[in-house]
Amino acid sequence: MGRENKDIGQSGEKAAAEFLKRKGYKIVGSNLRTPFGELDLIARQGKYLVFVEVKSRSTDSLGPPSLSVTWRKKERIVRNALWYLAGRGRAHSYWRIDVVSVKLSASREVERIEVIENAVEDDGY
Amino acid sequence: MIAKVYSSSIVGVEAREVTVETDIGGGLPGFNIVGLPDTAIKESRDRIRTAIRNSGFSFPAKKITTNLAPADARKEGASFDLPVALSVLSAEGILEYPDLSDYIFCGELSLDGRLKPVRGALPIAIGLTNMRKNKFILPKENAKEAATVKGIAVYPAETLKEVVDFLNKKIDLKAQAPNTESILKRNSKYKIDFSDVKGQEHVKRGLEVAAAGGHNILLIGPPGSGKSMLAKRLPTILSEMTIEESLETSKIHSVAGLLLPNKVLVGTRPFRSPHHTISDAALVGGGTNPSPGEISLAHNGVLFLDELPEFKRNALEVLRQPMEEGSVTISRVANTLTYPAKFMLVAAMNPCPCGYFTDPKRECHCSPIQIQHYLSKVSGPLLDRIDIHLEVPRLKLEHLTDKRRGEPSEEIRKRVDKARVWQKERYANTGVFFNARLESKELEKYCLLDKESEELLKLAILELGISARAYDKILRVSRTIADLDGKETIEAHHISEAISYRSLDRNLWG
Repeated sequence: MGRENKDIGQSGEKAAAEFLKRKGYKIVGSNLRTPFGELDLIARQGKYLVFVEVKSRSTDSLGPPSLSVTWRKKERIVRNALWYLAGRGRAHSYWRIDVVSVKLSASREVERIEVIENAVEDDGY
Repeated sequence: MIAKVYSSSIVGVEAREVTVETDIGGGLPGFNIVGLPDTAIKESRDRIRTAIRNSGFSFPAKKITTNLAPADARKEGASFDLPVALSVLSAEGILEYPDLSDYIFCGELSLDGRLKPVRGALPIAIGLTNMRKNKFILPKENAKEAATVKGIAVYPAETLKEVVDFLNKKIDLKAQAPNTESILKRNSKYKIDFSDVKGQEHVKRGLEVAAAGGHNILLIGPPGSGKSMLAKRLPTILSEMTIEESLETSKIHSVAGLLLPNKVLVGTRPFRSPHHTISDAALVGGGTNPSPGEISLAHNGVLFLDELPEFKRNALEVLRQPMEEGSVTISRVANTLTYPAKFMLVAAMNPCPCGYFTDPKRECHCSPIQIQHYLSKVSGPLLDRIDIHLEVPRLKLEHLTDKRRGEPSEEIRKRVDKARVWQKERYANTGVFFNARLESKELEKYCLLDKESEELLKLAILELGISARAYDKILRVSRTIADLDGKETIEAHHISEAISYRSLDRNLWG
């Protein structure tokens, strides 16, 4: 089970990177470890530095992949991103977080792929 | 980039300028509004975001901070939607002429970008000149209301897109033409008239005196004698509202959200008749988000309290200060506000719990103790502020079947107007406007009695057991009666009429 999920994840990330490239993103990094976890993909699009969280699934039984980004995960993604930016002194540049949701078939074929731009926002309160 | 747009909040019934500043910069995208916004404003973020998108603009995926200055005053309501949306668009560079320092914007946005009406457009329009602005952009529904104010340009808009195109000089918005006089004239007709009331000549005369001198009045009579009917017609014999008075009253009604799109100015003197179960907050104003109470809604008009002894003691006690000062001050931890509340009080009550004590035809079943108890529910200090007590007797059969109509309100009003003019001239530059406001010292100066009337008054004090307190009131009321009569000196028959308006002092019952 665990092994299989990891496979799904890797295939999903690969598919996502290709998908984003086709959409004009420039991939500048992938699978970057931080003290809080991992950044799946880092890309540049125009003046934005985009941190991409990839959610892959092979079944719809738990709902669409994008739904699995919970509040706790959002916070983790933001922390990862801030850690990355702080290390480069760029926390106040233009950046955002996108979520790519990948649906794979049993044979690891991409069935559906979509990107949610600016998926995580600062709610402030 | 930082953009500034101006709007206004309402404190009490006065407008206060609010600067809406927006900064857009880098960082995790988000949209925050600071500057003591209430929940409605915090929630506006989602309305604004959606409205901007649905108006054909893109909502910037950047860190957006909006500040409502001054930051220490609480802002409430949805009327900041439009200015906040515009400041975001301006900071994003979508407005081509970012200097908006002549404009005040107000309006609630719906998700599709349409503008929805707001409360308090009139007080903001009145306050515009004070804020050194001369253009007011607001939802179409509020435009007529705001256009009653002179010296400003009021632009009605239907959508956010329309406002943006107007500011970018792509389209022209037609300024709402001011039409204060015609609106006031159209609204200044009463649907009721004194000629509807049959008989009760004594009471009508009493109301005329009350109207002429601005005296508060208490009507006492059995059920069905027409107390409410008479009270309702009191506004029809008060002088017509001036534009200033109408604007003052409309302002309060605007804040309370009572102005209708087809009736944007209060043209007739308000007649407010709250039920006796009313709470003190609803009567004088207040609440967590303070709003004007019945006494402020009755500003420049009549407050009618039917079944006076049934009102909660609390509610009546809080009336005292506003009656004295013509305004009510509400203190909260965060701030203190003042609502104007100049009204004529008309109270009505039965003479006893069953209502038939003074009725010659029906027997009263109340014991003296019960009657005493009933009357004592009306506190002395409140009665002190009522100059005229009038008994309203049950109507006689011949009056009911009488086909002739009574004297129309217009005729009575002419006499009232004349008496008011006299008073205004006499009290010029004294701060007093009508007789009911005369204090003891001024009474000595302005209420000159001839010999005969002086004798009569002395006799009344001795024989009828009239108190010193009532003495002042009798003088005040006789002053008004003399004014109606066109006499500078008070004569004996003026005094005797005034005494007849003091039923409660004459110890008839209780």
